[in-house]
Amino acid sequence: MSIWPEERLDHVDTEGFHTVDMTINVGPQHPATHGVFRMLLTVDGELVTACRPYIGYLHRGLEKLSELNDYRQAMGFWDRTDYLAGLLCEQAYCMAVEKLADIEVPERAEYIRVMLSELSRINSHFMFLGAFGADVGSFGTSFTYAWRERERIYDLIEEVSGDRMFPTYCRPGGVTMDLPENFEKRCREVLGHIYQGIDDLDGLLTGNEIFVERCRALSPLTTERAINLGVTGPVLRSTGLAWDLRKAEPYSVYPHLKFDIPVGLRGDVFDRYMVRLAEMYQSARIVEQCLEQLPGGPFLNPNLPKNLRIDDAEAYVRIEGTKGEYGVYALAKGGNKAYRMKLRSPSFCNLSALSEMVVGHYVADAIIILGSLDIVLGEVDK
Amino acid sequence: MNGASPLPFGDVFFGWSWLDAIIRIVIVVLLMTVVVVYLTYGERKVVARIQQRLGPNRVGPWGLLQGFADAIKLLIKEDIRPRAADRWVFEFAPFLTFIPVLMVLAALPFARDWGVRNVTLGLLFVNAALGLNIVGIMMAGLGSGNKYALLGGVRAAAQMISYEIPLVISILCVAMVAGTLDLNAIAILQEDRPFLLLQPLAFVIFFTAMLSELHRAPFDIPVAESEIVGGYFVEYSGIRWSMFQLTEYASLWAFSIFGSVVFLGGWEFPMGSDWGWGWQLFLTFVKSLAWIIAVMWVRTTVPRLRIDQLMSFCWKVLLPMSLVQLLMNGFILVYDWPQELLTLTSGIGAAALVGFVLYRTARHPSVAHLVGSYKRAGAAAQ
Amino acid sequence: MTAENVTLPPLAGAIKKALPKVPCAASLTKTDLDLRVAPADLLALVQGLKDHPDLGFDYLRNVTGLDMQENGLELKYHFYSFKHGHTVQVTVATPPGESHLPTLAGLYAAADWHEREAAEMFGFVFDGHPDPRNLLLEEDLRIHPLLKAHPLQPVEIVQGIEDGRAGFEF
Repeated sequence: MSIWPEERLDHVDTEGFHTVDMTINVGPQHPATHGVFRMLLTVDGELVTACRPYIGYLHRGLEKLSELNDYRQAMGFWDRTDYLAGLLCEQAYCMAVEKLADIEVPERAEYIRVMLSELSRINSHFMFLGAFGADVGSFGTSFTYAWRERERIYDLIEEVSGDRMFPTYCRPGGVTMDLPENFEKRCREVLGHIYQGIDDLDGLLTGNEIFVERCRALSPLTTERAINLGVTGPVLRSTGLAWDLRKAEPYSVYPHLKFDIPVGLRGDVFDRYMVRLAEMYQSARIVEQCLEQLPGGPFLNPNLPKNLRIDDAEAYVRIEGTKGEYGVYALAKGGNKAYRMKLRSPSFCNLSALSEMVVGHYVADAIIILGSLDIVLGEVDK
Repeated sequence: MNGASPLPFGDVFFGWSWLDAIIRIVIVVLLMTVVVVYLTYGERKVVARIQQRLGPNRVGPWGLLQGFADAIKLLIKEDIRPRAADRWVFEFAPFLTFIPVLMVLAALPFARDWGVRNVTLGLLFVNAALGLNIVGIMMAGLGSGNKYALLGGVRAAAQMISYEIPLVISILCVAMVAGTLDLNAIAILQEDRPFLLLQPLAFVIFFTAMLSELHRAPFDIPVAESEIVGGYFVEYSGIRWSMFQLTEYASLWAFSIFGSVVFLGGWEFPMGSDWGWGWQLFLTFVKSLAWIIAVMWVRTTVPRLRIDQLMSFCWKVLLPMSLVQLLMNGFILVYDWPQELLTLTSGIGAAALVGFVLYRTARHPSVAHLVGSYKRAGAAAQ
Repeated sequence: MTAENVTLPPLAGAIKKALPKVPCAASLTKTDLDLRVAPADLLALVQGLKDHPDLGFDYLRNVTGLDMQENGLELKYHFYSFKHGHTVQVTVATPPGESHLPTLAGLYAAADWHEREAAEMFGFVFDGHPDPRNLLLEEDLRIHPLLKAHPLQPVEIVQGIEDGRAGFEF
């Protein structure tokens, strides 16, 4: 049988018993890789002894495209990075451009952005819960539960912006159009469903002994190591550090909003799951507050130039993305195009921690650990 | 011991024993085919219902012909054999998995005195035959020349051999109470109460071990879709793949009939065998259907165990508990203590088993405490 | 040092005080303090930024490569301190043709992938990097697509150039 190329394997000789480590290729087409991610696992029986991740299958040259298209055109590429929460990426991109050009954003637009971003965050976390449940093996039930609520959120986003996943709704200086008339009523309706959906998934997964037993104490991460690895977002917060850019470096209208930062205790897979679950609840609270505080006024800065040209300026704008610190480094050197745009993608940095997190665990757990990082390949590969 | 009828059941068609056997086998195989086709349809419908979907509803009224459409598609699909595969091992594996199930069907009584053949040692025969399909599964795993398949095959072998033991012991407990290994006689003995009432612990063990033998969630480790992409049959296609599917559903059906005969009283309980074989067949099918739906229900709600959890559950929990059941039965039967004591001791055992599983997870803060804790931010994973 | 009249934040003074021996020029971007340092001093500066108790930059946020065309390549590091909550941007400019930089992977595990990305996209060479393979591009690809000189026309991949390995023809 030709799948055993003996010369390439390390022979382990323990007291006359010859075993060889086996290399398993997981991905790029594999149900558990959430896209086109590939990792090469070296396994000793069922235990992972080494992991080599390969990324780049979805590399679309976002940064090059952002240099080649002008500020408004380039935005369409950015909501395809974290495609589960496109509006958050748009917000980050627009904030970077606004920072470069010193554009004021009307308060109403900020509220609209925050509201839709938080809905996107809920959406993305729902996706996590569904896919994570499937990784642990709940045969798609968590998936369909999560999908039900995601459809509702997508419908709402579509009503506002005209598109579901890639709305290109934000603009440097505000948002494209105002909210529809019955938005508040619809949004509250969707929020009610979201609370219900969080509760359902909580009961389905958290209330399940096997699920808890599988995730608990699995691959714990210390805060120091997480920081050194550049891990951010829910994975960092699960280690017990309450670091959320919405509070640590407040932007937009977050200073006016009341919400808590959920943290974990041990930084294990279960904590990562719980932190995300709790974050969805907090995000729903933020949306409610935004609905109450939503001011009138323009939704787009009326004094925008027809063609945006920015002289020498440099900024590194970061927001709390769904997966962690979503940073946009922007450098302008005149003209209507950016000289350089760089995405600091949270999934990319979180994923770089994977190879050291899975070593020493079972193959089945490696899948769960990968799932618990909640990567989006569009963001990893840019 | 009035039920121990001589071979074969009832009258012999045309007086020729071999012709009679062939006719009976053809009937049972045809029945099995139809049942399997509708089991796939039924499973998809049940799962869809639980997952808030519609399930197949396009082919025929309510999608009733979906199973046949799938069967035709599978039959005319190309049968691919990978170059790395070991030819004969690969090609014979599906048949070797399937034949044991057919052997089981030959010994199962569907109604009083109605089956292919009444085997006096039916209980033993069914268990022995069901244990045989490990061979085919191992062959598929080794012969496919695929590492996922190899992992799946080895996992299946480890799991099925381990769970075989509590399964057989739990059946043995029933045989002790019944005093016979003849399935027909066992059913007749349950005229006034099913053995479920006498042996709840054995029932719980049997059901759990059966899930494992069938590779059903939460024990679907050998075929884990999100880890090893189907396990041992990952390289199969077309007719050979459908043989594995056929085996899966046919053995589910066989197990459910076997279980309902042994524990639920088959056709005998609650009406006795005076109502004619139509009614008896109906009872058998309803009971096995309940059994099957329970399996599907478990499948859709419960995530997958890890291989070490699975093994320790078998060797440290199920096996001792089944031995305890055996011992208790021995005392009670040898000293001729009242039968209520069987119910009592076994009931306590069943409660202890279920309680132990709950305790295992409740050792840390209880799961019930975790549910809903997402609303308390900061204490998310306490 | 672009804007002389802009007052630098106190962090700049703290860095000057903590690391007097490292020559670096401070300025402000739209968001952060920027320190411009020579490649030879990078490791000393970063080590100081990380270890000094008043600075405590324990988190490497981002690494950005830049092609400044005739001025060579630049690399921007963003550091953050969880203890003090401040951010600093460190800029290293390398002369054209000699884009060698010391790796930070020993100090920050996060630098590993960031540097691999900068290396493949711009052609930086990080001396002492533990795993200098391509990350996002194909493993044997030796083009640097984010350079400004990289052709914008579609790059046609021709199999079999260069003794059997995949080659590229512009």
